[in-house]
Amino acid sequence: MMQKLFAAFFFVAMLAIPIFGDIARPNSSPKPAKFVTYSGLEIVPDAKGNEARLEIPQQLWKEMQAGVTDLPANPNLAQRIAQSSPRTVIAGLFLFMSVSLTGVWVARSGQKNQKIAAALLLAAAVVGAATIITRANAGPPGYIRWQNLPQALSEGRSTQGGVSIVIVPEGNNIKLIVPLHKSGKNPGEE
Amino acid sequence: MQRAEELNLIPWRRATRRSVTSAGARMLVLALAAWASISALLAIWLPLQVSVITVFLFAGPHNWFELRYFLLRLPVRFGRSRAFFLTAFAGIAFLTLTYISLPLIYNFNLWPGADWSIPIAIWNTLMLVWLGVLVWLRGKLKPRSDWLWGIPVAFLLVAINWFVPELFSLGIVYAHPLIALWFFDRHLKRARPEWLPAYRRCLCLLPILIVGICWKLAPTSPLADDNGLFWRITQHAGAQLLPNVSSHLLVSVHLFLEMLHYAVWLVALPLIGARGRFWDVKTVPLARHPRGFPRLVMAMLILGLFLAGLLWFGFSVDYTTTRDVYFTVAIAHVLAEAPFLMRML
Repeated sequence: MMQKLFAAFFFVAMLAIPIFGDIARPNSSPKPAKFVTYSGLEIVPDAKGNEARLEIPQQLWKEMQAGVTDLPANPNLAQRIAQSSPRTVIAGLFLFMSVSLTGVWVARSGQKNQKIAAALLLAAAVVGAATIITRANAGPPGYIRWQNLPQALSEGRSTQGGVSIVIVPEGNNIKLIVPLHKSGKNPGEE
Repeated sequence: MQRAEELNLIPWRRATRRSVTSAGARMLVLALAAWASISALLAIWLPLQVSVITVFLFAGPHNWFELRYFLLRLPVRFGRSRAFFLTAFAGIAFLTLTYISLPLIYNFNLWPGADWSIPIAIWNTLMLVWLGVLVWLRGKLKPRSDWLWGIPVAFLLVAINWFVPELFSLGIVYAHPLIALWFFDRHLKRARPEWLPAYRRCLCLLPILIVGICWKLAPTSPLADDNGLFWRITQHAGAQLLPNVSSHLLVSVHLFLEMLHYAVWLVALPLIGARGRFWDVKTVPLARHPRGFPRLVMAMLILGLFLAGLLWFGFSVDYTTTRDVYFTVAIAHVLAEAPFLMRML
């Protein structure tokens, strides 16, 4: 009985090898797109031109090349801080010293300064909380600048906004995807 | 009887003085508001062209007036302030030399590694530590007031500097013109205290105008910085560090602040603090005092005039290179403002 059971188990196990039964299905999604850099984009209607033209500033082209080859080109604030650990360590050290010395100063100084320090701390906490709640440091969403694009194009005016330059593994054409939301609605609300 | 008559005249004299004061304060407010508005309009309209002309005309003379103002405020004998002034002058000399050496180190590739933000952060740290020491020394000279808060604030600024050194340096570029307005505030407090409330109310116009410039220029296209000079002006205003902000906006705001800065040093402070002709060496206490140094003061002022003339000549021959050299060497006057401002607080 044990031999039959073992043979059956062995047979199933052997079948599993050619049909890759223990391997998850391969992901059919294409290679992920790669973010290269962020820049400004201006769409200019030209009534006299015969062909569309894409003008790329030399500096931006260098940044794009650097982004493709993983060289640091013009990283944003968070990337700059994250990429430079010695600087972050030194900044943290001085921040620690600042907070510590503030505590010493408050402790040594009179009651008036303590009240001022407490008021400042409270104000900082309130402003910080308000910032987190309102996402005030997030800045306006990028699609705001593109809202008037159709109207501007029809009137022959140029429109300017931010654009993320992304290298995609497939396709032959350059594609510009412009966010156009219904006015007064955030993307999450639609 | 005569005294009684004079007693009756006292309220009338006070009223007359008050009306003269209010007329003067009104003139000050009108002049400041007019100049600020004209500066803002010019900065919006022709930022690059006006920037070139402004620096050409006023950079050298305003440095000369600053030098003269600092000489006016320098005591004949340092006395108890000896440590403060020695630290100030040593710091100005050392930081100026190291600042001038930064482009040389960059050009000759003498810094190991490619992270150029670290030398900038080190220089900013040295400057902030120097300022912190000056605040501490100044606090020691004023035992009744507590200046120890300057140390944690200096460390906080050092921490921010290490997070974003280039942006911190850009912050200095934008903050420096505003220091002139602080000087003027302190000077008014001493020379014309009755004008101070009107001046401070007038300062409220500044953020309004800056917000107006930002509102007007935020959606504009970047300036065409296709030649070396215009590229340098946009870089100086932070166009590379803030790529998502229109360079037109950055240059205009910076130019607006610079024009206010020059107006304060060249017109407002000499007019308010005028005690005789500004070219008269005897108006400087350091030269007038029996134990003073008239020849040294004279030599410094003549050397300053010569350098201002040399700067004009340099701008005429090669504006771009002279501008680069000027804004590197001019760090000395930026640094010199700190101890003299602290002395007025």
